[in-house]
Amino acid sequence: MDIQRLKPHLPWITLVVLVAIVGINDPGFLRPSNLLGIAGDIVPLFIMALGLTFAIYIGGIDLSAQSMANMVTVIASVYLASMGAWVAVLCVMAGFLLGMLSGYVTTRLFVPSFISTLAVGGIAFSIAQWLSGQRALNMDAAQRNETFGWMIGRTWGVPNELLIAAVLVAICLFIERRTTLGRALKAVGAGELAAAASGLNVARYKILAFAISGALAAIAGLLFAVKLSGGAPTIANGFLLPAIVAVLVGGTPLTGGVGGVANTVVGTLIVAVIRASMLYFEIDATRQQIVFGIVLIVAIALTIDRAKLRTVK
Amino acid sequence: MYELKAVDKKFPGVHALKAIDFHIRRGEIVGLVGENGAGKSTLMKVIYGAYQPDGGQILIKGSSVRFANPRQAMEKGIGMVFQEQSLIPNLTVMENIFLGYERQFVRFGVVDWKAMAKAAKAQLAKVKLGIDPAMVTSKLSFAQRQLVELAKVLTLEERVDGDLVILLDEPTSVLSKDEVQLLFKLVRELTTRASFIFVSHRMDEVMDLSDRIYVMKDGEVVDVVERGGAAAEAIQHKMVGRNVDKEYYREHLQKPYEAAKVLVEMERVGLPGRIQDISLKLHAGEVLCLVGTEGSGREAILRTIYGMLTATSGRLRIKGEDAAAFSPRQSVAHGVGYVPRERKIEGIVAGMNVYENMTLSQMKKHSSGGVLRVSEERALARDWIRKLSIKAHSEFADCGNLSGGNQQKVVLAKWRSAGSDIMLLDHPTRGLDIGAKEDVYDMIRAMSAAGVGIVLVADTLEEAIGLSHTIIVVKDGRIQKQFACEPGAKPTPFDLLHYMI
Repeated sequence: MDIQRLKPHLPWITLVVLVAIVGINDPGFLRPSNLLGIAGDIVPLFIMALGLTFAIYIGGIDLSAQSMANMVTVIASVYLASMGAWVAVLCVMAGFLLGMLSGYVTTRLFVPSFISTLAVGGIAFSIAQWLSGQRALNMDAAQRNETFGWMIGRTWGVPNELLIAAVLVAICLFIERRTTLGRALKAVGAGELAAAASGLNVARYKILAFAISGALAAIAGLLFAVKLSGGAPTIANGFLLPAIVAVLVGGTPLTGGVGGVANTVVGTLIVAVIRASMLYFEIDATRQQIVFGIVLIVAIALTIDRAKLRTVK
Repeated sequence: MYELKAVDKKFPGVHALKAIDFHIRRGEIVGLVGENGAGKSTLMKVIYGAYQPDGGQILIKGSSVRFANPRQAMEKGIGMVFQEQSLIPNLTVMENIFLGYERQFVRFGVVDWKAMAKAAKAQLAKVKLGIDPAMVTSKLSFAQRQLVELAKVLTLEERVDGDLVILLDEPTSVLSKDEVQLLFKLVRELTTRASFIFVSHRMDEVMDLSDRIYVMKDGEVVDVVERGGAAAEAIQHKMVGRNVDKEYYREHLQKPYEAAKVLVEMERVGLPGRIQDISLKLHAGEVLCLVGTEGSGREAILRTIYGMLTATSGRLRIKGEDAAAFSPRQSVAHGVGYVPRERKIEGIVAGMNVYENMTLSQMKKHSSGGVLRVSEERALARDWIRKLSIKAHSEFADCGNLSGGNQQKVVLAKWRSAGSDIMLLDHPTRGLDIGAKEDVYDMIRAMSAAGVGIVLVADTLEEAIGLSHTIIVVKDGRIQKQFACEPGAKPTPFDLLHYMI
């Protein structure tokens, strides 16, 4: 069995091995209620990773996702009182439009996406600071429960976040595998020049990919704000690295074209297990980013398609 | 001296090399011919160490060796002169020749350029190239670069004890007739220093140069022909497994086009620095060949019609509609199809399968409300795989793993299945072997008979003359002359050349 044929299966094998290792060390980890809890906790991060998948699938990156989520927690907290449920629409629109902006800068002004999204992320962060007056904001508990309470309860013992995640996965999978948009994104990721020579409007599809990424980052932020019943310009810090790790260890390489939504599901579960296991092995929160940084480097090195990347600068 | 014994190589779904026996003696020139996908390039990669065989043995002077990478093969005296030239254009000739081996010239941490220049001169003398080694490589002509590449490989002579084996992969594809003769003379002289393995699609050249010819088909060596042992047609027959039609360009199939139906009309179209004052008409069923030297503006005309370039002056009409500001997307919607020269980069998407590639330009047709009808796409792909006898295990085969000829068939099927009736073909037979070329010629004739208008930039003048109804000679971005090419009354290459240069 050679490594090339094994490669597509590495993500889920890693997941099973990790679960087994933690499970053997602490059988309590494997209790269904514990597993469900861990899965439920990771949902905001998962939704962000889901969005990032689209940006990375076309060979780009979206570094604005975390700032976008930060900004949305603030928007949601500030405008919940005045707008009610409509604040959700505002949040998603804000994410979508800022994502479009990143896409526009990338495709029309020819700025590499890691810079354009970093800059747009800066804008989002600044909006968050300005809107919040640099304070942590709280939602009115009664109003939150009335408007968005359904997001965080449990149905038949399953956290509702998981149901939301499942619906989003279904939608994204459908987009990826059954729609012209998904096919076009794959073509752009795997062979952009050929896609352009086939008459596809490559710029439009790229802008859409960044917009979807932004919208999903916004949904992640909204859910996070509801969970914590408030928002702050830095509340979601520490999400970006694990979210990128989730996409890459899932098997969508930075060079794009392969992998996709299903891979990110597995990748996020790997991240969830790593995070949970760090609690078991008593690695404290301040040191977790060290682990994710290392995992990120290993994941990139393993997944990247060097045939597409002639030189690295 | 160098020998392969029962070498086997498998890729997922393909048995690329089946028990290959191969040997080369000291100072021998061995030709290697075969259709695309016959296993030539895989065999070469095994020889120069880029691939490791799954079975069998590599023997040098009777002892078994194994190469993990090309560098290890080089250390055993096996060098490769690449088809796509591997020199770095902005380095000087000497830096290229000694790239990676500069250490020998380093004194106290500083490169002794004089010593390097002297050594480079000695290497260049081997290939009889009297250029200044401090020249920047990009200033050299293609033929000169080829020789520098050869000189670079010949540095192995000093580094390696033992005999050299040098692979020449399509070394003549970009050379003129005279340059080819010079190269051959040189290679013959160099047999005192090395053995050569010569790979080319041009049968006459292989027969001219080689002492023995290995003929490959479907991953096997089907024959080994000694010099003078067989006629070109007999070898081609073995390679293709059928007789090569005398009517190579299918001239007997050429039918008059519909002069009343104009598909594309260009009127004094200009694009500063690329083309000027281009006026032409493409009719239904017409094969219109653009002839000119590299950079004469042939491609700019194609790309302008396709909408990848936008003309700054003049008028462009596609089927009577003003198309001056069309993007490729709009051109495609008006029935224009484009087969680019860079098949692997612009033609197919490697990593996507056959049906995904075929419907890439026509997703709207196979979807409703943005949702694709995949079973319909697959049926379409199966249909065209059968029609064009594309060698792929199924419609799920990754196009990146198909051979060049089959990739080209997928690209053509992409446009044909979408019903494109204006086809822009840029070097459609480039890098294809005879069998695959003939398939493309057949398709061009079939499209022409079906009323498709074709603008063609051909690989050779013979091809242009053979295939076309009309030839337009382009030079420095301007139309020089237009020829009508009725069967039996076609211009000769000499007639064209006169206007090209």
